[in-house]
Amino acid sequence: MAAELTSTRLNAENHLLLSSLEIDLPCFLQDQPLLRLPHELARRNFKSVQRLVEREKEYVLPSLKETANASLSNDQTPEQALAVLAAMISRMQGLKRKMANLHQEEKKIQEQSRKRIQHLERLHQIPSLADVKYDQWSRVRLDRLIVDHMLRSGYTESAQQLASENGIDDLVDLNVFVQCQRIAESLRCGETKDALQWCGENKAALKRSQYNLEFELRLQQYIEMVRAGNKEKFTDAMIHAKKYLAPYIETQSLEIHRAAGLLAFLPDTKAEPYKSMYALDRWTYLSALFVRTHHELLSLSSRPLLHIALSAGLSALKTPSCHSAYTSSSSNSLSTTTSVCPICSTELNELARNMPYAHHTKSYVESDPIVLPNGRIYGQHRLLEMSKKVGCVEAGKVKDPTTGEIFDESEMKKVYIM
Amino acid sequence: MELVQKEHDRLSKKINAAQGLKSVDSIIDLLQSARNTIAADPSQAAITLAKLQNPVKSSFDSINDSLKETHSGLNKYSKSLDKLFKDRPLPNTEHDVLSSQEHLINRAIAMHLLREGQFSVAATFLSEMADKKAIKKQQEAETSATDNAASLLDIDEVPSGEVRKQFATMYYILHELKENNNLLPAIQWSRDNKEALEARGSNLEFELCRLQFVWLFHGGHDQQGPSAGGRQAALEYARREFHSFLPRYLREVQQLLGAMAFCPNLQDSPYKNIFNNPSAWSDVAHAFTREFCSLLGLSADSPLYVAATAGAIALPTLLKLQTIMKAKRTEWTTENELPVEIPLPPSYLFHSIFVCPVSKEQSTDDNPPMMMPCGHVIAEESLKRLCKGSRFKCPYCPSESHPREARKVFL
Repeated sequence: MAAELTSTRLNAENHLLLSSLEIDLPCFLQDQPLLRLPHELARRNFKSVQRLVEREKEYVLPSLKETANASLSNDQTPEQALAVLAAMISRMQGLKRKMANLHQEEKKIQEQSRKRIQHLERLHQIPSLADVKYDQWSRVRLDRLIVDHMLRSGYTESAQQLASENGIDDLVDLNVFVQCQRIAESLRCGETKDALQWCGENKAALKRSQYNLEFELRLQQYIEMVRAGNKEKFTDAMIHAKKYLAPYIETQSLEIHRAAGLLAFLPDTKAEPYKSMYALDRWTYLSALFVRTHHELLSLSSRPLLHIALSAGLSALKTPSCHSAYTSSSSNSLSTTTSVCPICSTELNELARNMPYAHHTKSYVESDPIVLPNGRIYGQHRLLEMSKKVGCVEAGKVKDPTTGEIFDESEMKKVYIM
Repeated sequence: MELVQKEHDRLSKKINAAQGLKSVDSIIDLLQSARNTIAADPSQAAITLAKLQNPVKSSFDSINDSLKETHSGLNKYSKSLDKLFKDRPLPNTEHDVLSSQEHLINRAIAMHLLREGQFSVAATFLSEMADKKAIKKQQEAETSATDNAASLLDIDEVPSGEVRKQFATMYYILHELKENNNLLPAIQWSRDNKEALEARGSNLEFELCRLQFVWLFHGGHDQQGPSAGGRQAALEYARREFHSFLPRYLREVQQLLGAMAFCPNLQDSPYKNIFNNPSAWSDVAHAFTREFCSLLGLSADSPLYVAATAGAIALPTLLKLQTIMKAKRTEWTTENELPVEIPLPPSYLFHSIFVCPVSKEQSTDDNPPMMMPCGHVIAEESLKRLCKGSRFKCPYCPSESHPREARKVFL
């Protein structure tokens, strides 16, 4: 009877544990960009369509009216009317071509979103963390995170290969990152053209940005002109400043004044802040600024998702034993002497060194702990079992799997861990 | 989630309908036919052009309408996304310890790829890393080659060719085992590493040989079930190979050979479990992977996978904590311990954990668990606090002891 009672209670407890895991099925946190990014792309795409249509409408309707009026009042020959019509037709055809392209793009984006929603939906159907399906899902997620990390660090080739080998092309944003990397690289090489073009494409969205990328780029162009140092260039620089920097006078007055001051200093000046304005590592700064702005615009997190997941995971797994000077007698019954613990494994050990370790409120040991004369604690059952398997241990003796010492079975002493 | 799905379906339907494009087409048609009319009869020009006004305008209007619809679809979809991700901000970026250790992460990734058997991706990744490092080195040399930077670069060693070769071997053996039911490479490997395996208390070699025996018993390559030839082969195999197992696995060997007698009716014999174990092959493959990685000093499951999954489980809790701490303006002062318990599944606990029942603190190297003569264990600091240097009573039982008698134990 009693046994029966405990067994049901255990079951209930188990169940509780599982259901509590169920509620917290973790995920979306890191999966947000998965849906957000294509959506941002779709919006951008939509904006371009809108702009195109608007432009043609502004042209076609008035000019149509004009020709109609003109031919009513006999101000134009039929040939002229035909020419106007032909011009309109060709413009409309241009519009159609552009719209068709954008429409294809849009369809591709939506298809991608659909696949991603499906991918997330699959997670919802998994009942618990213990399910095999969760394992599979989680592996796909890891692949995604790795690809994300590779793309952000500029290992494009590897990312591409990994994505296609594991069939997750639709779940990662290769093109977006490739473009981003290309522009960042061009900035590092001292080239503003690509970045400015990108700014032009995203003008509306950039207004909401907390960084002022475009201003910084224009300022850099100005600095380069001044650096060149001859008379013509100076005039060019001043014209440039009037055209591109002056509009920012309300928010960036300090920088603009400094820019004006820059004219009085030679590139090899020692005087701050002009020295740092001339400095070449401003390009590195611009490149980083571009990446930050780019990620902000597409609602990508500023640090790789893999880092976020890893730093949480390393801490959750880490125990004081992982970096302890004494080898721990690992509690996992599958292994004896080597570390199955991922934190103890050489790959992550160094990485986890500065992480905080997990918080525990209860001891976690095997149910039948005994202590050996050397102070090591093991589960009795497991220790006996293991000693039996290991050769070269006589009957009635046990071998400490960690240190290799051999003791008599009678030397095992019960220990109570609360 | 359902809402998102619904809104997305609606949006895609709208987009696929391509209403805007159709309207553009109709405008082109209108213009074309007007041109044709005028070309055919120039006197009609004024009338045709006047007639053209309204249809073209209405077509443009319909383009705008369809754009508006798409726009509202997009907005609804973004709202549903906002709803889905509400209260789920991305984790803040305050302390990112990891980005300063990029090379360690890259190394972990390379190892992960290797142990997952994606050798070509790993190779690409390593060569891309090498390229990048070379460029970096070059740049550093150009600016100012300090000894400092050079030594920094040397630290990020990547998995050596040796490790790569090892994993290639592992995948070869696993491939033979799983695809061709060929156990011989695995058996050979386990013999080569006999001593190390025995020290671990692993019976991999015996398990492999036993499976080989069963496989031969079932008829070897043509698995037609027990046949006389198969039995003969198995028996021969046992004679040749099993004698070295006899001291340790006498009972198991006896079982295997005893089953011979039940051959015609194995299903009802007590040995059926040994001979008809559907998961035997995958079990053995698993055991092999585990032992192989262990001998390399690595864990069997990719640590990166375990850590990332644990991270995904831990994140919701950590984020909640973050919001609460922000709201209450409290701070967590113990820097090297997380403030909350993360409910990881039991399979994610890899070490014994000792939490002192008195102070509720986890034991560390500086504050190790101490066992009193009665067998109860508390942390050293608690012990010192309790005893004040003289004899004291165990907090959990009536026995008294002197702090000198307490012994340090290792979990």
